[in-house]
Amino acid sequence: MSKVHDMGGRFDPKRIDITSSDLKFKADWEKDVFTITLALGFSGLWNLDRSRYARESLQPKDYLQFSYFEKWLAGLINLLGENGIITDERDIGNNAKKSSFRVLEAKNVKKLLLMGGPSKRDSTTEKKFNLGETVSVRTDNSNTRVERGHTRLPNYVKGMTGKVIAYHGSHVLPDANAHFLGESPQALYSVEFKSQELWDKCEHVEDTVIVDLWESYLEKCK
Amino acid sequence: MKKDNLKQFYKEFPSNPEARVKALKSILEKKGLIDQKALDEILDTYQNKVGPLNGAKIVAKAWTNKTFKADLIQNTDKVLKDMDLNGRQGEHVVVVENTEAIHNLIVCTLCSCYPWPLLGLPPSWYKSDAYRSRAVREPRAVLSDFNVDLPMSKRVKVWDSTSEIRYLVLPQQPESSKGLRENELVSWVTRDSMIGTGFPKPPTVE
Repeated sequence: MSKVHDMGGRFDPKRIDITSSDLKFKADWEKDVFTITLALGFSGLWNLDRSRYARESLQPKDYLQFSYFEKWLAGLINLLGENGIITDERDIGNNAKKSSFRVLEAKNVKKLLLMGGPSKRDSTTEKKFNLGETVSVRTDNSNTRVERGHTRLPNYVKGMTGKVIAYHGSHVLPDANAHFLGESPQALYSVEFKSQELWDKCEHVEDTVIVDLWESYLEKCK
Repeated sequence: MKKDNLKQFYKEFPSNPEARVKALKSILEKKGLIDQKALDEILDTYQNKVGPLNGAKIVAKAWTNKTFKADLIQNTDKVLKDMDLNGRQGEHVVVVENTEAIHNLIVCTLCSCYPWPLLGLPPSWYKSDAYRSRAVREPRAVLSDFNVDLPMSKRVKVWDSTSEIRYLVLPQQPESSKGLRENELVSWVTRDSMIGTGFPKPPTVE
């Protein structure tokens, strides 16, 4: 199942527009979207995986038409909406305020940004795959627990065979965390695929693509 | 199977993004959920403090100090933490080194993941549909959009940032810069050379 945000390998005839690329914000409203999104990211009501899910779940037509920060803005409004914090533009009669909401204070900004949100967790289980091992990616890249749920398994590698080139320890599984089903940490690997196996036409037989994949995305190679 | 349908609340807001964020902001202010001073501090951080200069300093140091380079590649997170260069969107970093035989290119096909503490916020093209679609399928054609022509003697490795691991390219040091000191080399290291869409180059003289 491929969703609109899953763009890898899709045919796109456009040249990359490298002009004006140094503008961080094209307008002041983008600054507001950026800073409010980051600040509310510390509210404790959702996590990074949830906010990615919110953006990729926008109406596909809007996802494709919206600029980057328009996607952030719509995603943020949906997150606030599902938490009952806002309803509509006028927000009539809604005084909902979650007691668990943590308001970000200026004095904590530096510390919290530097702390970030590491996704690595202590491993509790033995990893299944070894460095150098050939593995296959699941043939279905849908979320296995939630209908049309979040996943970080791109469509273009499903069913493909590659080689494990790095093991990164256990990391929070986005497929679960985005839906508040727990962090379910799992072994995370970098898997290298030959471009000529991924694409009908490849530019160079020795070129490769490396994708970070969680253990449950992978199977032993038959 | 569970369902999890996020409702499209944004449809209830003005469609013009400027008006939309204004409406949202006034609600959040009224409810006391945002502190303007904190927002200003975030903006100042990413507009004025965090940018590609951070990455450039690391690259210049790696070029001139073999021990540091080995440590940077082996113990990346610890090295960056000691330099206060980890943090949001750079919690777990892998440094990939360009060589005579290998050219590395970074992309995020699923969104726009990027090593913020080292490079700042991503440029527009990095977030574009075209870059996200094409970089994994035809990296050499993408590179030619950046006026980078890669010899067939080099193989391309494209790194798709699908997890919370962030990637930084350690570019090759240009021959013409050999012998320069670390602090002189910093200005040779371009942002694009650390994404893989460009090479280091001599600083332009104003």
